[in-house]
Amino acid sequence: MSHKSNSLKQLALQKFKRNFWGVFSFYFIVLVGVISVFAYVLAPDNSQYANQMHLAIHSKKPGFKVQMLIMPSQLKTNQGVFDKIFFGKKNVNTEIPISEYRIENSILTYKEYASDGLKGTEKTIKTDLLLNHSPKDFIKEKSFLFGTDKYGRDLLSRVLVGARISFFIGFVAVFISLVIGIFMGSLAGYFGGKVDAVIMWIINVTWSIPTLLLVIAITLALGKGFWQVFIAVGLTMWVEVARVVRGQIISAKEMQYVTAARALGFNDFRIITKHILPNIMAPVIVISAANFAAAILIESGLSFLGIGAQPPMASWGAMIKDHYNYIILGKPYLAIIPGLCIMSLVMAFMLIGDALRDALDVKS
Amino acid sequence: MEKKNILNINDLSISFGKNEVIHNISYNLNSNEILGIVGESGSGKSVSSLAILGLLPKHISKITSGRILYNEIDLTVLPNKSFQNIRGNKIAMIFQEPMSSLNPSMTCGKQVQEILLQHTKLSKNEAKEETLLLFEKVKLPDIKHTYDKYPHEISGGQKQRVMIAMAIACKPDILIADEPTTALDVTVQKDIIELLKKLQIDTKMSIIFITHDLSLISEIADRILVMYKGDIVEAGLATSIFKNPQHNYTKALINSRPTLDTRLKTLPTIQDFLNNTTSNEVITTQQRKKNHEILYNTTPLLEVINVEKEYISKSGWFTKPNTFKAVNNISFKLYERETLGLVGESGCGKSTLGNAILQLDKATTGQILYKGIDITKLSKKDTRKLRKDIQIIFQDPYSSLNPRIPVGEAIMEPMKVHKLYKSDIKRKEKVIDILNRVGLSEDYFNRYPHEFSGGQRQRIGIARTIALQPKLIVCDESVSALDISIQAQVLNLLNELKVAFGFTYIFISHDLAVVKYMSDQLLVMNKGKIEELDDADIIYNHPKKDYTKKLIQAIPKGL
Repeated sequence: MSHKSNSLKQLALQKFKRNFWGVFSFYFIVLVGVISVFAYVLAPDNSQYANQMHLAIHSKKPGFKVQMLIMPSQLKTNQGVFDKIFFGKKNVNTEIPISEYRIENSILTYKEYASDGLKGTEKTIKTDLLLNHSPKDFIKEKSFLFGTDKYGRDLLSRVLVGARISFFIGFVAVFISLVIGIFMGSLAGYFGGKVDAVIMWIINVTWSIPTLLLVIAITLALGKGFWQVFIAVGLTMWVEVARVVRGQIISAKEMQYVTAARALGFNDFRIITKHILPNIMAPVIVISAANFAAAILIESGLSFLGIGAQPPMASWGAMIKDHYNYIILGKPYLAIIPGLCIMSLVMAFMLIGDALRDALDVKS
Repeated sequence: MEKKNILNINDLSISFGKNEVIHNISYNLNSNEILGIVGESGSGKSVSSLAILGLLPKHISKITSGRILYNEIDLTVLPNKSFQNIRGNKIAMIFQEPMSSLNPSMTCGKQVQEILLQHTKLSKNEAKEETLLLFEKVKLPDIKHTYDKYPHEISGGQKQRVMIAMAIACKPDILIADEPTTALDVTVQKDIIELLKKLQIDTKMSIIFITHDLSLISEIADRILVMYKGDIVEAGLATSIFKNPQHNYTKALINSRPTLDTRLKTLPTIQDFLNNTTSNEVITTQQRKKNHEILYNTTPLLEVINVEKEYISKSGWFTKPNTFKAVNNISFKLYERETLGLVGESGCGKSTLGNAILQLDKATTGQILYKGIDITKLSKKDTRKLRKDIQIIFQDPYSSLNPRIPVGEAIMEPMKVHKLYKSDIKRKEKVIDILNRVGLSEDYFNRYPHEFSGGQRQRIGIARTIALQPKLIVCDESVSALDISIQAQVLNLLNELKVAFGFTYIFISHDLAVVKYMSDQLLVMNKGKIEELDDADIIYNHPKKDYTKKLIQAIPKGL
């Protein structure tokens, strides 16, 4: 009896579901999103920023394994569970890679790990630890799935934690660009005339400044740091959104249902938000997907230049910057892995943007 | 005269996806005749003719059965390459929209010349000579100049003439004219029809003339096919079809258009013919007179005094701005429960006047008194309040509804904004009430506009308009985009609502027959000025001005 009504939104969704690459990209993005939120739970190295260094085993191949002497931290901190899960442990155990060890009378003698055929030094320590625990509890074999970076940090953990920055910069930049862009674009498009002229001037001026330079200028003004980069990227991206929104509104304004809304005595705010914006969201969504990808690229570019996320924070761009000279030294994976991550995430956003554009184009 | 069968369509079926839109139709076209195909939108009349030219959209449509034989060649299986020799050369086509079928970046002459160079072996100079000859044939003014003009520099009628010149350039055997005059004014339409008729007699080609207007086609065609939902329901000589229609649908098509001499109380619709419930009740002159006496003794609801609307176009920084008066010194009075008809050709300023009354587009000078208050001087806030009283019904039912809002909510929204009724539950009841009133069921409440047909959408638009219980409604070409049978339904609905709610209408249309049927007073506009203002019947029977006479003459009256 009840007729199932199909809104244009539902029709678009049905169409989107039929697009394999769109759906695939969507799930990929969701996966990256989950990873970035629960990065510290998934990462083998759950210290804050995955910053546990072991200089002795720096820049090792993927799949590298070593025995690790773990000594619990003596400091006591009261870090909450949620804090630990979402921001990593602040207080971490000391880890020493070793090649061999022996225990005599509660004295531990171990040989430090040394690569490239060097001999590691022998050290002895005497701890209470040995009294209560068996050696198995504090000497473990650790494997590094993606190898280690040039400070001996676990690359996998850093890639996982680094996903956060890339993902968040996309969200924040797109959010800022949407808020400013839709607001400015609506004003310019709907009211036209002088308002339009002024806003178009601002848009043109902002647009004529090279993006990277503007971001650098803003980061210099606001100081270095990743929040500044978020804002800076957002502030450069609203221009495109504003232009798209303005153009769309100018044509949507001529539609009879907008005139109808005016004739019915609705106020301007209601007309823009309820009658115009929902009908022009398709191109805005598409450009947002592209902006998302662009934001990730700009962030990695900035990190590469050293004005993005600051060490010890993990960021894919910064990881490439740290290791790009290893490419010719026979250890290209250190730079290639984060590079592939950037590429696949950006590509997923591009594909989803394409799929959305096709899906939202429901005319009949 | 000898008649030869040149085009034969046998058992043709066409499908779009899984949907068959043409069901096994067969007809033939003789040489030297005009065949009219008439039907409503969606009846398949255009699709079947596109198939003749092999212009059906490739991926979504398919000819599922049947053959189209042109001089013994089967066009349904002809490869694209050989088709190019036929298309434009042997079979030519004129489209409905002359505005968009000419290339705006090429001069008119060049476009015609291009066709000649493509299909004939003429040299460039000869082609130009030939083009000028063609322009003369289609009676374009000042042919030497028109040759060098771009499409935007000439009028709609002239563009259609250029299109016709292009179509007949290669002396085709068959000319397919798909609604060639629908987008044009009646007076221009008349000229084009006469031109086509004359060209047919001169060149002895065959014309397939497709239209939705039966009276128009009866003036030009020798034979007529009536199509309905992908079938040919009736075929025969023009006179016999028009004088003695057999099929109910044809009868409805002929009768649902308002006639010019009598005024039926309700127009018959297709449904009426199918159920055999047509009523021939006529509003007599006496009844009308009596009604008018009561009407004109009240104080006027709306008074328009010397209203002018000026548009300023600035062409350069230092040139003087051009001013153009779209509405020039218009005054009239409108009484409660009256219908004022506003008629004129496109560009005469009738819609501008409507918008000025609605305060959508403010008048430059003049006063508009609504219940004695000058509404041109109201503040923005008061204007919004006034909107409750003065409403509009739009022309295009497809674009006047927001595609993202379900219809129930669309009707409810104005009630909310103007704070009518106490709660949403009350409002919803009222909306369902109104939906029933305009002939839609309450199941439609949560549906979206794209799920409705044109006629249904127009009803929704009307429902939204009357939801505010306005006093005065401006109907801006409200039925022009609808098929004739649906048009009759909507006109009946408007009249019914007028009686039930006591509305006052300003009925704007280019179609004199419809306006005359609807109106008490009639206002004929031309170039922004009032040509004539009087009782509708008086104007129609005794027009004083030449312009009005011309307008009345141009209405296709059928046989």
